[in-house]
Amino acid sequence: MMNKKWFAGLGISAMLLGSALTGCSSDNGGSEPKDGEKVEVTLAGWGGNPTEEKLLKETLADFEQKHPNIDVKLEVITEQYMDVIKTRLIGGEGPDVFYLDAFEAPGLIKTGAVEPLDEYVTKDFDVDDFEKPLLDAFKEDGKTYGFPKDYSTLALFYNKKMLSDAGVEVPKTWEEFTAASKKLTKGKVAGFGAAPELARVYWMAESKGGKVVTDDKASFASKEVEAGLQPLLDMHNVDKSAVEPKEVGASWGGEMFGQQKAAMVIEGNWAIPYLKDTFPDVEYGTAELPTVDGKNSTMAYDVAYVMNAASEKKKASWELLSYLTGKEGMKTWTSKGYALPARQSVAEELGFDKDELRAPLVAGASYATVWQKGPNMPIIVNNFNNQFMSAFLGKRPLGEALKDAEKQANKEIE
Amino acid sequence: MQRQSRKKMREMGQGYFFMSPSLLVLALFIIGPILYVVFLSFHKVQLLGNGSLEFVGLDNFSRLADDSRAQIALWNTIKYVAIVVPAQTFLALVLAATLNAGLKGQQFFRIVYFLPTLTSSAVLTLIFMWMYNKNGLINSMLEGIGLQGYNFLGDPDIALNAIMIMNIWSTAPFFMVIYLAALQDIPESVYEAAEIDGANWFQKFWKITVPQLRPVTSFVAIMGLIGTFQLFDQSYIFSAGSGGPDNSTLTVVLLIYQYAFKTLGTMGYAAALAFILALVILIATLLQRKFSKEESLY
Repeated sequence: MMNKKWFAGLGISAMLLGSALTGCSSDNGGSEPKDGEKVEVTLAGWGGNPTEEKLLKETLADFEQKHPNIDVKLEVITEQYMDVIKTRLIGGEGPDVFYLDAFEAPGLIKTGAVEPLDEYVTKDFDVDDFEKPLLDAFKEDGKTYGFPKDYSTLALFYNKKMLSDAGVEVPKTWEEFTAASKKLTKGKVAGFGAAPELARVYWMAESKGGKVVTDDKASFASKEVEAGLQPLLDMHNVDKSAVEPKEVGASWGGEMFGQQKAAMVIEGNWAIPYLKDTFPDVEYGTAELPTVDGKNSTMAYDVAYVMNAASEKKKASWELLSYLTGKEGMKTWTSKGYALPARQSVAEELGFDKDELRAPLVAGASYATVWQKGPNMPIIVNNFNNQFMSAFLGKRPLGEALKDAEKQANKEIE
Repeated sequence: MQRQSRKKMREMGQGYFFMSPSLLVLALFIIGPILYVVFLSFHKVQLLGNGSLEFVGLDNFSRLADDSRAQIALWNTIKYVAIVVPAQTFLALVLAATLNAGLKGQQFFRIVYFLPTLTSSAVLTLIFMWMYNKNGLINSMLEGIGLQGYNFLGDPDIALNAIMIMNIWSTAPFFMVIYLAALQDIPESVYEAAEIDGANWFQKFWKITVPQLRPVTSFVAIMGLIGTFQLFDQSYIFSAGSGGPDNSTLTVVLLIYQYAFKTLGTMGYAAALAFILALVILIATLLQRKFSKEESLY
């Protein structure tokens, strides 16, 4: 009698346990697959607009056709890309190949989660073809950890109609720019739609000889950086000719520009397809950023494909990575001009330097600063942005805000 | 005697055996993680890539003393708790009392008032962000009556208040339902006796309803305290994860999130912060219990 009860109890508990644990089975038992075997490689990236996604799928389809033994599984991470990637890498469930922004690269490379690619590179791959600054962003101690897929620089977007109505020429220098912005400010329209964050004002911050980062530490609380940034604050607080997106109920510069709440914005390549899709009626042009003291400057935002160091299909992953960043793959991917090709040969072939809207963006590549300054950048940026915003809104003097932000950032870095 | 104790042992074993599935789940998902957080809080941890774990003793805790963002976060959270808990408790009580007074259509209003609680807080936050938008509903209304609008989302002086208003509005109805249930338990005879003694409605409310509801108020306050100390989703969505503008919507839980997942290698510090937050909540709850003396009524 007693035995029977025991048995029943055991049976029920085992069943419950079994059902509770079924979700936990592991599937990463395999090792490097042999040649000729079918392999599935996962590729993760952030989502773009529908056309961009179609282009990527097209590129991947070409690849699968040429490599019948490799299947590519595309995973799109739409929100908080880096948080998701980091967490998945920690959990051992990271994708084999993924996008990595140059800005996040040094930090991630330092942890050893990214595979160095030098030993895979063959002569056909032609490394020298990449724009050097873009490639250097993914180098650490002489090793290359990623190959750039594309990039974008910043350019001045201006509303043609508003400029001609106000009788303003496209500004070439900072002085012309502030004057134009003042003239263009009328009623609900601001002359300049600013983006008060470090990624966008970095070129201004260093325009007077200051350094934002020195030896991986924040060093922006200097007279020179302050002098570089103050003109932007004056546009907002003194001239009242600049606004930030939230002040006019927009979420970013492109939207503000499309809704014609700002006559000029400084944005990148990404704004061109957005404006075409969302605000096709806005007539606009692009120009190189206004020069400060006669010097050209702009930012370059650089994204690469990198390989997961813990991947079990490194050979197949390299096949994919080298195709996507190779001449053929990059040509398909950048053919519509949604992103600028990181290879010189592809850029020449596609001729974006002759495209009316994209020429200023391409021209910027030669003097651009790549948006990446060492492994501590995320901390520095977060602190800078927080304090700079209140200075931009005129809540506190710039020098004081920068000093506080620098102190806090360096404390967090230690 | 021997037989008796063996039987007892066996019964005990059986009991634990039957509980084992839930014990296992508890250990795996609740007790285990708690112990792991305590463990992590004494280490400098890098989970990514090659990984490293280095014992640093109390460094993570002492670091708090000169981390001004952590202090801002704590201050923001305390400010938030101090305003939201009393406000939502009071609002819930008033709503419950009016809906219990026997007005026409009170069933309908009970449902309408309860709706915000049923909506997910992420959705509510997005809706409120539209209303708070510079060209949104609230600013248009303010301009309509000749007032100047606010930049609710971008102005560091206002952003946290905007979240407070939203949260009071959305959680008060939940506590209102608890009050409504409690109001049914107050005997009608007490009110009748008061009426015979010539008490007016305010005296009845203040001298009978409020004291009779005291145990429930204490429950509501404690639940409110715990909930508000853990403010995360609203400020996260409001600031797109940064805690801005100018750290004004930075809360302790948001800071923990940032240290744990955004910056690399600060998981240990995040664990220490989480541990301290748990202590703060525990202390606040104990204080609340001590001051409300809930047993004294009966």
